[in-house]
Amino acid sequence: MVAMWVCAQAVLQAQEPVPSPSPNDVELLRQQVQALTETVKSLQKQVKAQQDVISKINVEPAPLPANASASTAPSPAASTPPAFATTDDSVVASAPPPPPGATGPAAAAVNSQFPTTDASVTTSNETISSTGAGASLTAPMTVAGSVASGNYMNISFDGQFALAYSSDRNLDQLEVGDHDPLQRGFNARNLELALDGAVDPCFEGFANIVFKLDNDNATNIEVEEAFLQTTNLPAGLQLKAGQFFSAFGRINPTHPHTWDFADDSLVHGLFLGDDGLRGVGAQISWTVPVSWYSQFIFGVQNGRGNTGFSFRNPGVDGTFFGRLTTDREARGVQDFVYIPRFESSFDLSATQTVLGGISGAFGPNETGADSYTQIYGADLLYKWKSPRAEGGFPFVKWQTEAMYRRFEAGRGVAQSFPVAETFHDWGMYSQVIWGFKKGWTTGLRGDYVHMQASDFTDSLDRQSRSRVSADLTWYPTEFSKIRLQYNHDFLEEDHFLTAHQADSIFLQFEFILGAHGAHKF
Amino acid sequence: MKTEYLTKLAAVFGLCLTTTLTAQAKVNVVATLPDYAAIAREVGGDNVDVTVLAKPTEDPHFVDARPSFVVKLRQADMLIDGGAELEIGWLPPLLQNARNPKIAAGQPGRVEASQGVRLMDVPATLTRAAGDVHAMGNPHFMVDPIIAKAVAAHIASSLAAIDPAHAAAFQTNEKQFEATINAKLQEWGAKLLPYRGQSLVAYHDSWVYFAHRFGFNINIFLEPKPGIPPSPSHLAEVIAEMKAQKIKAIIVEPYHNRKIAEKVAESTGAKVVEFAQFPGALPDTDTYVKLIDSLVNHLTSALK
Repeated sequence: MVAMWVCAQAVLQAQEPVPSPSPNDVELLRQQVQALTETVKSLQKQVKAQQDVISKINVEPAPLPANASASTAPSPAASTPPAFATTDDSVVASAPPPPPGATGPAAAAVNSQFPTTDASVTTSNETISSTGAGASLTAPMTVAGSVASGNYMNISFDGQFALAYSSDRNLDQLEVGDHDPLQRGFNARNLELALDGAVDPCFEGFANIVFKLDNDNATNIEVEEAFLQTTNLPAGLQLKAGQFFSAFGRINPTHPHTWDFADDSLVHGLFLGDDGLRGVGAQISWTVPVSWYSQFIFGVQNGRGNTGFSFRNPGVDGTFFGRLTTDREARGVQDFVYIPRFESSFDLSATQTVLGGISGAFGPNETGADSYTQIYGADLLYKWKSPRAEGGFPFVKWQTEAMYRRFEAGRGVAQSFPVAETFHDWGMYSQVIWGFKKGWTTGLRGDYVHMQASDFTDSLDRQSRSRVSADLTWYPTEFSKIRLQYNHDFLEEDHFLTAHQADSIFLQFEFILGAHGAHKF
Repeated sequence: MKTEYLTKLAAVFGLCLTTTLTAQAKVNVVATLPDYAAIAREVGGDNVDVTVLAKPTEDPHFVDARPSFVVKLRQADMLIDGGAELEIGWLPPLLQNARNPKIAAGQPGRVEASQGVRLMDVPATLTRAAGDVHAMGNPHFMVDPIIAKAVAAHIASSLAAIDPAHAAAFQTNEKQFEATINAKLQEWGAKLLPYRGQSLVAYHDSWVYFAHRFGFNINIFLEPKPGIPPSPSHLAEVIAEMKAQKIKAIIVEPYHNRKIAEKVAESTGAKVVEFAQFPGALPDTDTYVKLIDSLVNHLTSALK
């Protein structure tokens, strides 16, 4: 068969006239070549039809396109320059691509139009095809793989570990994040299963289930996030509902494996909680129809428990900031936490981007029947990336976040605490990350938290402190990383530690299995 | 029931938006990469506004998902992407944020350039032990002019669906592009014919389609595995192999580490050849044809 086709091509090539310089002749020649091309095409179709028949008879698989083309490529040994092939059925399907709703060779019938125009209207009764996957409702769900390989769900697993040493024995008191290294020696504080995919034409679904080993190596499970999100609301609107991280600042909505340091920043851990501000609730966001990026986000959550740290948090053993907490049921909408955010971004140049945002979180707390908390935040990100970046390097990223917390501390259950106070606390961190060559970054971070002094309240979570951190990270690929970090902590009081200052070293290592994650800005 | 109602509501809104926008003068086309943008300009002519997200000189696997891209995608009537996982690391979050039903997969406003292209090097088994593999096959297909023609035809038919008033113009432009490529292929083919069958070395495995089209063997790479930076031991092997095969050229792209290529060239007597997948990455290559012209010229002058 192949020999026949090579033969046919050789005959066609032999018939080709010698090129002439006159423009008319060139045009004529062009037309002839086109006519010949058509002939070759029809021959190819015939050959293909025969091949199909043969491949149906034979159990043997069809040859790979690359191999097939090697045998059909014009012979370099020809004495006169042969006409260069202008079509190649081995790389471009002669038939149009199958419409999203249809799969398999049956859909690749001969047709001269790309069916991009009717993709949305060709769905049959049995299929939903918003994603182009042609998902059948009755088909069994398959997991473990990417959408590309024909599955309905992306699944990935992230394992993050750290080997830690600190001059202070109580690392779990020194560190403020629940996924930070919490003991001298080895730590496995974030083993995360992430799932996502299109639910149906209306929604996408996401879930992050975190497993973590405590200092006694007991396994804890945490439903970090599980939410659905609309995909096609008009007017730039999007709704989200379920359990999710609140859209407050830069660090809070992100998972620890995306962080630039091995541990949480002080202000985030101490104001929004060691697990961040997250909870069951709903959120609406709206991209403002202006020529630069602007988005309003408004979230409502229960704000209850440790993941609503400064809000309806009963505290440890029923005590928060020294007060016996009320731990009451919600009275009404006034007991939700409301989280508005506005963010905006500009490109300073083709290589520089700035993203800024302001956030708030407002709700009641448990230290009194009518005590409320307000947290305000501002964040700024600057990023430069080389116009010749390879693998995303080199780059420079500067990120700063500041928060102010007004906390009305009531008198606790049955007015058991001597005074009611209002705390005005503030804190910030600023960090610079330099990706100096492909796969390598180094970073520097400064942390500061100022807690208003009180003569009545003596709480571990309410002391002013600061910290400097430096790290060096190597990403062998985007699916693994090894990070060395040094922290130096300055503490106001040493009531839980052996000294006013502490040095810590972390060696963090991480792997990611499964679906290829995307990087948010 | 509620879902159904919502879907209908969304569909009605979508329809309204589409109707308003078809009345507009120009189709707003966003292309993820500069090669798709170049083809869209050829086919769309004066009837489209083309915006491109990635820079021609940067690594297309790792483009920052800048918020300004969200705005561009929100305003788009059409999105052209590869659809073969080249942009998997940065396009999905942009699309989630853009919330533009017109460019959702399966809509006329979404052109996935790899549709209708038979991708090469589809891995038989998926393992990242082989480096940064692309599950659907090698996505650097635009450097084959015959594939570029197919993509042009795809874009033309999608543009015609979005802007039927200018369907004839799109078709004319597409035929013109096809004719230009057909004629140019004769020229490129003739220029490269003396070197047919030669082996070349590339920094990254992004030239399988170019090699296939013009009859080169590009099977040796400075990267030991796709996406993994060159190691001294691997480079030593490459140098030995280049000497054994008397390979005369090393292809590097603008975002690759040229110093490494130059070191290898020094110890083998080969030349470093400036290549690029994207129009605009090399001087005077603002169109697709000029880019291939430049590749052909750079290669022939290195192999002479």
